[in-house]
Amino acid sequence: MENMTLLDFARGPGLQWALWIFFFGVLWRVVGAMFLLGTKDRSKHRRNHYIRDGLRACLTRSAPAHAFEEKIRFQHLTGYAWHIALFVSVLLFAPHILFFESLLGFGWPHLPNTIILFSAAIAIGVLIALLIRRATHPVQRLISNVDDYVSILVVLLPLISGVLAFAHVGARYETLLALHLLSVELLMIWYPFGKLMHTIMTFPSRYQSGTFFGHRGVKA
Amino acid sequence: MRNDQFLGEYLRMQGVSRRGFLKFCSATASLMALPPSAVGQVAEALATARRPSVIWLSFQECTGCTESLTRSHAPTVESLIFDAISLDYHHTLQAAAGHAAEEAREAAMEENKGKYLLVVDGSIPLDNPGYSTIAGISNLQMLEETAADAFAIVAVGTCAAFGGLPHADPNPTGAVAVSDIITDKPIINVSGCPPIPVVITGVLAHFLTFGTIPELDALGRPAAFFGQNIHDRCYRRPFYERGQFAETFDDEGARKGWCLYKLGCKGPTTYNACATLKWNAGTSFPIQSGHGCFGCSEPDFWDKGGLYQPISAGLWGERDALLGAAAAGAALGVGSALAARARKKKALAEEEA
Amino acid sequence: MNAQAISLQDFRAQLEQLGKDVTREKLPDEERVQRAKDAFMRKLDGRRAVDLDTCLHCGMCAEACPFYEATQNEKYAPVYKYRLLRRFYRREMSPMRWFFKPFTSDITIDDLREWKHYVFDACTGCARCDMICPMGINISTLIRVTREGLSAAGLAPNELTDLKREQDAKNSFLGVDADRLRELVDQLADDGVDIPLNKEQADYMLLTTAPEVLLFPGALAANAKILNKAGVKWTMFTDAFEAANLGYITGDTPMLKRTLKRLVDKARDHKIKTVVVPESGHGYHVIRWLGANAIKDDLPFDVLSMPEFITREIAEGKIALKKQANGTSVTYHDPCRLGRKGGVLQEPRDLLTEMGFELRETASNGRENYCCGGGCGEFALSEASTLRQQAFELKKHEFQQAGADEVVTGCASCRFNLQSGAEKAGWQIPVTSLVETVAANLAD
Repeated sequence: MENMTLLDFARGPGLQWALWIFFFGVLWRVVGAMFLLGTKDRSKHRRNHYIRDGLRACLTRSAPAHAFEEKIRFQHLTGYAWHIALFVSVLLFAPHILFFESLLGFGWPHLPNTIILFSAAIAIGVLIALLIRRATHPVQRLISNVDDYVSILVVLLPLISGVLAFAHVGARYETLLALHLLSVELLMIWYPFGKLMHTIMTFPSRYQSGTFFGHRGVKA
Repeated sequence: MRNDQFLGEYLRMQGVSRRGFLKFCSATASLMALPPSAVGQVAEALATARRPSVIWLSFQECTGCTESLTRSHAPTVESLIFDAISLDYHHTLQAAAGHAAEEAREAAMEENKGKYLLVVDGSIPLDNPGYSTIAGISNLQMLEETAADAFAIVAVGTCAAFGGLPHADPNPTGAVAVSDIITDKPIINVSGCPPIPVVITGVLAHFLTFGTIPELDALGRPAAFFGQNIHDRCYRRPFYERGQFAETFDDEGARKGWCLYKLGCKGPTTYNACATLKWNAGTSFPIQSGHGCFGCSEPDFWDKGGLYQPISAGLWGERDALLGAAAAGAALGVGSALAARARKKKALAEEEA
Repeated sequence: MNAQAISLQDFRAQLEQLGKDVTREKLPDEERVQRAKDAFMRKLDGRRAVDLDTCLHCGMCAEACPFYEATQNEKYAPVYKYRLLRRFYRREMSPMRWFFKPFTSDITIDDLREWKHYVFDACTGCARCDMICPMGINISTLIRVTREGLSAAGLAPNELTDLKREQDAKNSFLGVDADRLRELVDQLADDGVDIPLNKEQADYMLLTTAPEVLLFPGALAANAKILNKAGVKWTMFTDAFEAANLGYITGDTPMLKRTLKRLVDKARDHKIKTVVVPESGHGYHVIRWLGANAIKDDLPFDVLSMPEFITREIAEGKIALKKQANGTSVTYHDPCRLGRKGGVLQEPRDLLTEMGFELRETASNGRENYCCGGGCGEFALSEASTLRQQAFELKKHEFQQAGADEVVTGCASCRFNLQSGAEKAGWQIPVTSLVETVAANLAD
């Protein structure tokens, strides 16, 4: 196509390359880590419901034990607020669902746009609050690196550009839409190389904790 | 109408009352987003306008633009405007043919040198002139010749404005827009497939009134008509906001007149006046009839994904290529792990020793 | 009782003498770094890789660590403690190492020296951080691998190196050798406690540990009483009685294996069916959970902690417990390696309840219990004494909130740390042993 506009690029080759890099990188990293393998635990099990224990840990780690609650209430609440707000605005917005449908072959029900906008606003607010905490709390400031800050930025950009495109604020709609798509493509390209991978790695990690402690008869 | 007659006189002769004429002028002025004070100026200008010469060249087109502009069940003032111009050359409408027609064109060009308006519909094939010729003259040659002494050019329809259907992938005729060929004359792109009739008359009225071309957008289209997208003026917008969509063309949502985004409506990225002016003297427009807008006034609208593919669906290639990328990634992962394990084995062996 | 325990003070004095004469192997710095890296590489597998790749630097692990909580020193955050391992992984083993290497700094000798404080003084491997991590990362295992790297580099604390060398050479530590054991066994015999030594035919092999012999001989007596009451064929071997494993404590894997192998071989030679582990948290952990993996074979015997043994014998009707009538309330302190890491959480509580004690739980108990502060050899580290005491203050606070009359625990190391900590804090609270309580309440 001659005279490819920014939007055409973002919807076409930009998206294509981003998806290729995304799938390539994610598989590379997950398979490469897990394929280092481990040795079987030869000690006699106290409990051998491994699959049950593994799957249970995948769920229960989202709910901190009562003894810890007071200390981590902030992280607990903002963690939930952030993830729920993000999932609602990404996964329950009709145009997004149509995109996933074109990728996966199936869609799902959506929510009205005002709820989505509200949700996106909460997501942005919470993420900024988390960013501030990361930069000011002694522990997080010590352990955070470039990856942490870039990952936050790379998620903030699609949220903010999405809200701007939605509200038609700042530039022509096509430009805003193109920027939104490009910011999502940036996120997909960064994804395999940074800590956004936690969205996938959480599951093998929690699962193996479940089986490790379950083997010893302790609820992970 | 005689060439030396003023438009105002001519209209009175046709039985158009002064009131009717002023009504048209104020409607036109408001369409052009001119202030109320300009109405008088429009009326004065139109009443005393001399009929400018207009040469209409039709290239690779389907004649739909002409049909749209000239089709009327009852005479309207818009169609009378066409009588207000001296349409000195038009394939479909003219009586003459053959050499006589070409001579008429050349005479008009000579007589009105530097002052005539050139209207073009249809794209121009660059690949092989044989694809579209008139009286043995290629479209390219005719355009260049006729544009040379024109005052301004109006590219009517998406084909003339942006290349249109012939320009769609794989563009077998090498079709291009007028603006790809003529770069030294002002060009007004009145896109649409076809354009709304009253948009044309609005442009002409502007030209007749002020002798200048109206304010254009980044794509050379009159901003007054192409300055906003369909989505922002669509009467079904509340349904979009509430998330109520028609999923198929005959489901409950369709019957209730819900938003057509999921059925591929390109309203959000299409700039035209359809949602406000509508078609057939304000009767309806595609969305109102239950079919999504397919962005006919935008460049390359044929190549922006299917007409029924939603805007947010990707325009990317094969899904299978993604599986290939994933497989390649997994292979690299296995390779990197094997290499790491080999070094680990060595370290373990050293410990045993 | 004839069997005399040494005082806490004398024990502490003995600990203070550790490490003073340790001569370090002279190694060039690059060699030390290389050895640490090789140790890291040996322990990095798919599971550790998943752990290392999942951390999102949320910092919640710090909120579970008693050392961070007591000091608010961000460098004691568990995630920071394994930072060197993460850098190594990203540079050398990660699938994307070619990407990360230019951006990840290499490990230096200064790093290793700095980290000694974090992984030895400020970490007991209690795994409380493992319980809080929202990503389910086995943080304590990663810190442990770091410890092993430091140990391989010859940078373990002198006190631990001293103890480890003693055990490696003499098969015992803190001077508690075969003769010392025999001496105690004779004293206990005079007190009416029979401990069969070196029997050819036995089904059960009982272990003990140096702190138990020195500080808490009553616990050994209690174990003997219980085993005798249950009427099982048991013995103790004077050349294979030590449950503690200084290879484990120090992070020296080859030594861990050597030490363990002596016990395993002895048990196998004598066709022992069950090894009974006394009140030693890491002693249980090493043989029960690490043993088979260390010898790369199934253990030829079962392993039971005393609470498990007692529970089983009660269920089979071999022993019974009396209800003590004092109305005493107790708090049970779960030793990390017996409870959270060992899985023996419910049996001690059931036994105490059965004996009629009122059980008062601390706010953090069971799998979330706070470490006593001195586990995994920490009690021997002189540089860590302030930290230890600060961590103990957290325990004291929780104990006082629970308001019980007594603290009961199931590990000699915990017992020593809690008693010593209470003494230093000027807090009068009886800290007793589970097995001694059971032995005192055996029904006839």
